[in-house]
Amino acid sequence: MADFIQLLVNGLAIGSVYALAAIGFVIVYSATGVVNFAAGQFVMFGTFAGVVTLINAQLPWSVAYGAALAIMALFGALFFITVYLPLRRGSIVTIIIGTVAVGIIMQNAALLSFGSWPFRLPSPLEDRVVNLGGAIISTHALGVVGVTTLMVAGLWVLFNRTSVGIGMRAVAQDLQAAKLMGLKVNRLLALSWVLAAVLAGVAGLMLGPMWFADVNMGDPIALKAFAATIIGGFGSLPGAIVGGLFVGLSEVLGASYVSSAYKDLISFGIMILFLLVRPQGVFGEKIQDRG
Amino acid sequence: MRAPLAIAAAILVLGGLIASVLPEYYLRLFNLSAISAVAVIGLNFAFGYAGLISLGHAAFVGMGAYGLAILTTAWGWSPWLAMPAAIATTAALAALIGYPLLRLRGHYLALATLGLNVSFYIVTSNWIGLTGGTNGIARIPELAIGSLALSGEHRFLCVALVTLAVVAALAAMLHASRHGREMMAVRDDEIASEMIGIDVTRVKITAFVLSAICAAVAGCLFALHVRFVAPEDFTYAHSITYLAMLIVGGEGTIVGAILGAILLTFLPEWLRFLGTAYLLFFGLLMLCILVFLPTGLVGLGRRMRPRSRKTAPSTSVGVPEMTS
Repeated sequence: MADFIQLLVNGLAIGSVYALAAIGFVIVYSATGVVNFAAGQFVMFGTFAGVVTLINAQLPWSVAYGAALAIMALFGALFFITVYLPLRRGSIVTIIIGTVAVGIIMQNAALLSFGSWPFRLPSPLEDRVVNLGGAIISTHALGVVGVTTLMVAGLWVLFNRTSVGIGMRAVAQDLQAAKLMGLKVNRLLALSWVLAAVLAGVAGLMLGPMWFADVNMGDPIALKAFAATIIGGFGSLPGAIVGGLFVGLSEVLGASYVSSAYKDLISFGIMILFLLVRPQGVFGEKIQDRG
Repeated sequence: MRAPLAIAAAILVLGGLIASVLPEYYLRLFNLSAISAVAVIGLNFAFGYAGLISLGHAAFVGMGAYGLAILTTAWGWSPWLAMPAAIATTAALAALIGYPLLRLRGHYLALATLGLNVSFYIVTSNWIGLTGGTNGIARIPELAIGSLALSGEHRFLCVALVTLAVVAALAAMLHASRHGREMMAVRDDEIASEMIGIDVTRVKITAFVLSAICAAVAGCLFALHVRFVAPEDFTYAHSITYLAMLIVGGEGTIVGAILGAILLTFLPEWLRFLGTAYLLFFGLLMLCILVFLPTGLVGLGRRMRPRSRKTAPSTSVGVPEMTS
């Protein structure tokens, strides 16, 4: 039982990170229709923004986290201008290859600036653990679950109670109508990229102490975020959360109860199963892309 | 009938001419680009003709390569027998996978095939009894006619070029045929195609299986050329490279598929002076081609032709196709 609780918390912690990455992916997809294959590299950038502010600049952690997220916000805006705007008229495959190319650029820019050695990103909660009924649980894992809950609550307020968030939803629903209503569509589209980058930044900062800060960490995260999005439902925020937690739990529980070699096959197998049987996912709306 | 023959002849003559002036080391890259070109022409069936976005093409290349490797090393078959068996197995698997998967479109199909490719990697690197795990399978026998071994870059090039020429000619024939037009009709408007009596599912699966067959041929050639297969050679990153070759060369065209395969195989070599910054530059180049040259290298050639030929009213809005 103690083992199970420990695995459960670890699964929820890693699942929370996947969920945040998936939420960023979903926000961008709903607003702009772009499937961002560089989503994993966004998270990697988040981790390395933490490396810059926490390790290189030696800032106190509250300042460092703020600075790292500011860097990510700036990066999101830059991405909107230099990648999204030129590519947005392209076909689906142009956008897929385009964002993959951007992912390659990001990964190798990080490799050139930081080298291939992994960094150890510290956690503000350090390495403290708590004993919960015999289960040894790191406070960082608990903190990750807590921060994700707060972020999700914040996003709910943003999208349901603020005019900016409601505007973003309007753009996602019908861009032309939103334009006709006098919304500043471009500004709202830019904001969704910024928000996605900041969410990826939070995910990256939380992931750093759990894994190592490694320039190759983007791809596995992206694949998990895709699986989470499909399972939860393309374009659905609650779906991204449920899907992320599911993928994290299936990874951790599957690794210890089924087979560590095939742990990833569980989430991808279920993802493919969902695509075949219920492509709209758990929460998604009816989709058009199915014959 | 003239265009397919012309393409096949052009590949053999130009390929032979280029090969005769290339130094030994580049010959190896030239072989690899011919092999990739076979795979990319296959991808063109699925994507260029039928509009199916597949990010799992490398998995089918891998199935062909592993099929040949297992049959020749573990079962002791001759490569000549193992090759058709591996190709047929891959085709059967593609039909089996394609039947449920091809109901999906666009992003969904892309992500599903991506998941397929990732699953292929996980299985090949963990099913150690069959695939040797991450160590792969070595000591694949060489191809031979009687006592004449088709090893070494020069002799292998003959095999690769002949295969490429045959595949390209068949692709050109398909493009001009009723079946090819059906595929393009499905790509351009699925509902309209259904209206005029095209069996959309059958056409899509045909395109998918044809693309897998070419992939398996490329995989067999790869296994016989490198004589070693490992999961790292068939990751989803390779699928994306195949798609990139097609887009850079010019989607929907056979010449574009070949040009893209050659360019993206040689590019790392030409950019070697950049050292570790190579991939960064590669990404930038890809992005620039997508933004500034959306019809690829073939489109560039077409754009440079005299404008007078463009004045004829054109009703086609689909992807341009090589006709000369």
